[in-house]
Amino acid sequence: MKNIQTTVIGSYPVTIDTMEFIKTYFLQKKTDQKWKRYIKTAVQKMLDAGIDIITDGQTRDPFIQLFARKLKGCRIRNRVEIIDKIEYTKPITIEDQKYVKTLLPKNKKLKGVITGPYTLTRAATDLHYMDEKQLAFDFAYALKQEAENLQKHVDIISIDEPFFSEQVPEYGKELISIITKNLRRPTTLHVCGDIRKNISQILEMPVDILSHEFKGIPELLNEFKQYSFQQKICLGSVRSDNVTVENVEEIILHIKKAIDILGNKIIHISPDCGQRFLPPQIAYQKLKNLVEAGRIINER
Amino acid sequence: MFSFTRKQEIFDVSGIKIGGQPGEYPTVLIAGLFFIVEPDFNKAKKNLKTMFDVSKKTGNPAIPDFFIRKEEYIDRILDFIQKTLPKNQPFSIDIIEPQIKTKMLKKLDEKKLLSRTIYNSIHIGITDEEKKALKRYTPDTAIIVAFNPKDGSPDGKIEVLENGAHMTDKGLLDIAKEVGIKKILIDTAALAPGENSGAAIAAIPVIKEEYGLPVGCAIHNVVEKSKWLSKHGIQAKKIVDIASNINIPLFGGDYIIFGPIENTEYVFPTIAWQDILISEYTENYFGIKPIKNHPRRKLI
Repeated sequence: MKNIQTTVIGSYPVTIDTMEFIKTYFLQKKTDQKWKRYIKTAVQKMLDAGIDIITDGQTRDPFIQLFARKLKGCRIRNRVEIIDKIEYTKPITIEDQKYVKTLLPKNKKLKGVITGPYTLTRAATDLHYMDEKQLAFDFAYALKQEAENLQKHVDIISIDEPFFSEQVPEYGKELISIITKNLRRPTTLHVCGDIRKNISQILEMPVDILSHEFKGIPELLNEFKQYSFQQKICLGSVRSDNVTVENVEEIILHIKKAIDILGNKIIHISPDCGQRFLPPQIAYQKLKNLVEAGRIINER
Repeated sequence: MFSFTRKQEIFDVSGIKIGGQPGEYPTVLIAGLFFIVEPDFNKAKKNLKTMFDVSKKTGNPAIPDFFIRKEEYIDRILDFIQKTLPKNQPFSIDIIEPQIKTKMLKKLDEKKLLSRTIYNSIHIGITDEEKKALKRYTPDTAIIVAFNPKDGSPDGKIEVLENGAHMTDKGLLDIAKEVGIKKILIDTAALAPGENSGAAIAAIPVIKEEYGLPVGCAIHNVVEKSKWLSKHGIQAKKIVDIASNINIPLFGGDYIIFGPIENTEYVFPTIAWQDILISEYTENYFGIKPIKNHPRRKLI
């Protein structure tokens, strides 16, 4: 019997009722309880689907704005702008994680997700540093503090670095090391997109688990086969960029193929990426089928 | 006291000038009628007369803001406006529910009142039906409420104007322009006590410098909801309520939504006094001459 666990990458789609928010404003009431309700909705959906390792659903903001909003030195315009030295002055996701923890049964785990320093760097318009490397390092030092806080409240920490699929800078490993060094929790690096040209650099990353878009880009499996590596694998098993719901048999076939190639490296199965852009019912059904496929695989 | 480097728009709203550099035009004072309570037209008529009289004395233009919370009030309030307000006097229509807003727009068009109407307001709760109605029956002037439930800071307010903070399909400024609003007034959205209410004041110069549009807010709402002030005593609360409004012109604001029209007799002299103070300095230092009707010309 295997023990592959199901998880999600980060975001889960929740419909935000903007009218409800505006009414809180007109009535001069506080808005935070409303956000908690959306977080609870996302978490409940993941739990209902049977996911083992839950996130907070990143309901407040897209993953870039979520971190830029609270890091000193950033301001949000049409894009995130860097206007001063990046500093960590207050926790970013901690309060939401504490809240999610109160919603979870004891047999479920919580994954804290950090948007990676290189992704934040590349997604922003730099009006201050004019030095990409220095900016990326300052993001990394700031995120390290969030990770240290986060590990007190979550079971696993994931770093989301989609820009590594385009390019891993020569200092990429150092950036990730800054965050993961001395953390007591297992760490995941999630890089969606086609990473084939950067795979050797990604395999050098100091994390416990590598998480990629294996369902959308199944060729990755054979690419990974070429290498010897230490990390375990979180296998993307349903697509996040496609509204077609994969049936259970299709997911099982995909997982079996991955096990045939990568063996017991595969410890987690998940969607290929965050599910923010999927309709809520589709996202939920994909998770349900993923869980069912995982259950059948584990029982075989 | 200061002057903006960006050119400041001055809108003519049915004969009332609003906007410009600090010290140039008197602060426009917008008074609320029928908020929460049933419309009392006799009382309203008396209060309006008092307001227009005191407005003539100080030079601060007065605009009544009619709160309409039930559809059945629409005809009665519009009839009252047509019969009671001086010819061409602009007025603001303040409605929360989108369905009532759309019905109101049609009525305003039928009665040929759209050129005198300030539409209060466009915000993140705008619906597709409301947009359609605004395109068909377009008031010349609208207030955009820069309320961002993700971020109450001045940057958060700009974010919602620019891109809707990912809660509307585009920024509120673009939405207002697309439906055909020619004269846009920005309301910096004073938040509940303890929710960064002061940012509504801090945002005034930031938004004026960014867009050059007329800016104001209803800072009095924060006082009204203050629990500690309520405990402190009715008289003290009233004084703070009136005094809170001076923050708006002091920070460069162009208009004040000062709450119940009953406060007219206190708000107008307070703001006239503040306008005089600002004008004295801005003329001496920046050479900004106040217009003929400015309180400094009328009262000193």
